Amino acid sequence: MIDNRPLSPHLTIYKKVLTAFFSIFHRITGIGLSIGSILIAFWIFLIALGPSYFYFFKIISETNVFKIILFLWTLGVFYHLFNGVRYLFWTYGLGMQLKTVYSSGYLIVFLTFLASIIAWLI
Amino acid sequence: MKYNYSTKWVLQRVTALFLIPLTFWFIFQCISFQDYQYEEIQLFFKSYFNSFLFMGMMIIMLIHSKLGCETIIKDYVFSIHLQKICNNLINCITVVTLVLVIGSIFKLIII
Repeated sequence: MIDNRPLSPHLTIYKKVLTAFFSIFHRITGIGLSIGSILIAFWIFLIALGPSYFYFFKIISETNVFKIILFLWTLGVFYHLFNGVRYLFWTYGLGMQLKTVYSSGYLIVFLTFLASIIAWLI
Repeated sequence: MKYNYSTKWVLQRVTALFLIPLTFWFIFQCISFQDYQYEEIQLFFKSYFNSFLFMGMMIIMLIHSKLGCETIIKDYVFSIHLQKICNNLINCITVVTLVLVIGSIFKLIII
């Protein structure tokens, strides 16, 4: 029975709506951040190994590509965080009216960019 | 360790709640880490407070990631056999990463 259970989401049969994109993007950022957490572990491991290994990271961290990736990671963290808070509200049945769902979605996009810019400017 | 689905669901949300302040703390530290020299980062982790927060954040983050990835696999991977392989892989990665983080932090505190 468990083999034949319906699997979600049936992406191809539904009309593409903005709320679905918010949900899919939450999962995509979640996977990205999971990979990021492994890289953070690798970073602390390099530090623990000693200065010569740390300077290997230092050389990479000074490149523009690294800075762009770090900025995108910041965007991903803040998006996942704010959207996660939105889901926590939904857990308690709050903010689930269609109009509120859309407006909170737009608010999350705004807050994501705002928080990322503030984090990089400070 | 086997959990039922409701335990996983609650654990996912509880870890999310703990991650909210910890993420803010780390992200603001993380950006300044770019400019830190080795000695400065070593000094940062010499502080028990910073090490405790970092280790706590990483443990909670890895549990949260593991639960999230398992949910995604359950939703998108059709084959039960493949699901088991993926879940085992996630468990292995989580354990190795945890060992790496805890070992590294202890080494940084001791030295």
